[in-house]
Amino acid sequence: MEQIISSLQQFWEYTGIANCTWQNLVMIGIGIVFITLAIVKEWEPMLLVPIGFGMVIGNIPMFPGLNIGIYEDGSVLNILYQGVRQGWYPPLIFLGIGAMTDFSALISQPRLILIGAAAQMGIFGAYLLALSMGFMPNEAGAIGIIGGADGPTAIFLSSKLAPDLMGAIAVSAYSYMALVPVIQKPIMLLLTTDKERRIRMPAPRVVSQKEKIIFPIVGFLITAFIVPSGLPLLGMLFFGNLLKESGVTRRLAETARGPLIDVVTTLIGLTVGASTQADKFLSLNSLKIFGLGLLSFVIATACGVLFVKLMNLFIKNPARKINPLIGNAGVSAVPDSARVSEVVGREIDPSNHLLMHAMGPNVAGVIGSAVAAGILLSFLG
Amino acid sequence: MKRLTLLAAGLLTTCVLGAQNVRDLVISEVMPEPDSTSLVDDYGRRTGWIELYNTSTGTVSYGGCFLTDDRDNLRKSLIPAWDRSTKLGPRQTVVFYASGCGSDGTFYAGFTLRPGATVYLVSNDGRTIVDSLPVPAALPQGKSVVKKAVDLREKVYEVMPEAADPSPRMVNKDPDAETKGQIMAHKDPHGLILALVSISVVFAALALLWFLFANLFSPKKPRIPRLRPSKAPDEEVAAAVALALDMEQGGEVYAAIALALHLYLNDSVHDAETYVLTYGPVSPQWNNKELNFRKLPR
Repeated sequence: MEQIISSLQQFWEYTGIANCTWQNLVMIGIGIVFITLAIVKEWEPMLLVPIGFGMVIGNIPMFPGLNIGIYEDGSVLNILYQGVRQGWYPPLIFLGIGAMTDFSALISQPRLILIGAAAQMGIFGAYLLALSMGFMPNEAGAIGIIGGADGPTAIFLSSKLAPDLMGAIAVSAYSYMALVPVIQKPIMLLLTTDKERRIRMPAPRVVSQKEKIIFPIVGFLITAFIVPSGLPLLGMLFFGNLLKESGVTRRLAETARGPLIDVVTTLIGLTVGASTQADKFLSLNSLKIFGLGLLSFVIATACGVLFVKLMNLFIKNPARKINPLIGNAGVSAVPDSARVSEVVGREIDPSNHLLMHAMGPNVAGVIGSAVAAGILLSFLG
Repeated sequence: MKRLTLLAAGLLTTCVLGAQNVRDLVISEVMPEPDSTSLVDDYGRRTGWIELYNTSTGTVSYGGCFLTDDRDNLRKSLIPAWDRSTKLGPRQTVVFYASGCGSDGTFYAGFTLRPGATVYLVSNDGRTIVDSLPVPAALPQGKSVVKKAVDLREKVYEVMPEAADPSPRMVNKDPDAETKGQIMAHKDPHGLILALVSISVVFAALALLWFLFANLFSPKKPRIPRLRPSKAPDEEVAAAVALALDMEQGGEVYAAIALALHLYLNDSVHDAETYVLTYGPVSPQWNNKELNFRKLPR
């Protein structure tokens, strides 16, 4: 009898109920909120469902030493997590993004590339703020990249600069990407006049296949020579795009933008979510990171919109003016931020379609954030 | 010709891949004559020792290489190839005790060290000297001779002229060296310089792209092929097609076709594509065996 009681007692010690803390419950609650938002509101379900469920998985209380936790060497979750820790997943996602991105909106109106550069100021604005809040420069750089609105880039850079903050940074980046429509719209309305919102832009010209093939090669050579430290991201992005545009590697392109990116997105979402174990995640620093992440999105959006207004000052021909509502699309978050431009533009003038124009700065933002990540890595890595 | 090109590419790749090998090892420190404070080996003895350093960013396997202090006998002391621990991680060091008896273990050299001698690391072919380090004859007891990097980019290492305090299993660089983040914290505490430089670089990279695609790669005047029917369509045929479509499809199809034609005929927004977009059932041919065969180059 004594042995039975002792065995039951031992079993009890191994249960989640016995090891549960309020922090675990909070994190499980946040995970369930993520899943609910993804399913009910359809906010970035491809990301929030894996991240949310990963948070639930990672916060099931357990007896340490069973070699099943994500931070325990050799466990299944730990092996899958190495793709995040070592930065393998983000370049693979960039390969898929490259294979599904059509750069013709950018090629047809190259001047819109600069908006993608302006919106990267969110990264450096958040970097300055993070420094002023007492973070070390490498940590501040990793936090600042949230402003790039690019989850894989944020994971890649934080895994190199501040691995301890990676969970908070990744969750923050993906959460705010899901909230792009909520964050950007008020800023766009605040910074533009009714007249500016009604600007109609000329239709983009036809882009030849030759230009589309040249773009990833030239784009890669220029950006990689200037910032070689961004090579994993830039190389995969432009390589994926070349697979798409070359016309002779259609099967490879389809795999990259289909099954490959789906598998990697599932794994990255799940493991990033599972890495938010309460004891490592719930801290004042995480709260600060969430606050800074929000500010970086605000700064990036505002800088994008204001930069378009600045460009318009130098454009004399009224027919070539740029609608500042596409400025927000300079933050990556493809294609959500471009969709916000379209929606806000149509609220003012239902026949004014901005989506095609907004896709230009949107894909430029992807390149810009990868370049910015490379610069931060070379300075702080 | 095609095969020759492939062969040349393969050889070139092999040469590049071969870059991370024993040639990346240097003899970074030698301590010939121990004193009472020197390193103790696994047998409790104080002997001279030789430190190797992997200058590369990849793991190097040095099993099968030789250590020697005799230019005429390059195969004096073999490092066992069968020992799996004879791998050196990137920018890591390993120490060999010069006990005079190689059978003491993997990390023991079969010769003893003396001032004035030169230590050689020899490749596993037994002929190629990978690196050497001369030990000054006047080196005091308990001191070591050290080789340090003077240009990491070019992998240039130089022997330090002065006798050094021994630092076995430590990378020979400034022990107080700070991380890049710590250096930036001193040099740019508010982050303004880094932010300004970084923004400038982002703008420069993307502005260069803008310049190139606005001026060099952009066609002067794109020629858009237009559909111009040579003669008016037969009304009866058109009516028959319309009737057939009406029976088979809903209104959305008409709308899609009309929109596509409108865009195509009116200097539209659609790009030139390499293939034709259409609708209707298309067999993916997933089970077609011929399509699943690998296409070998001819």
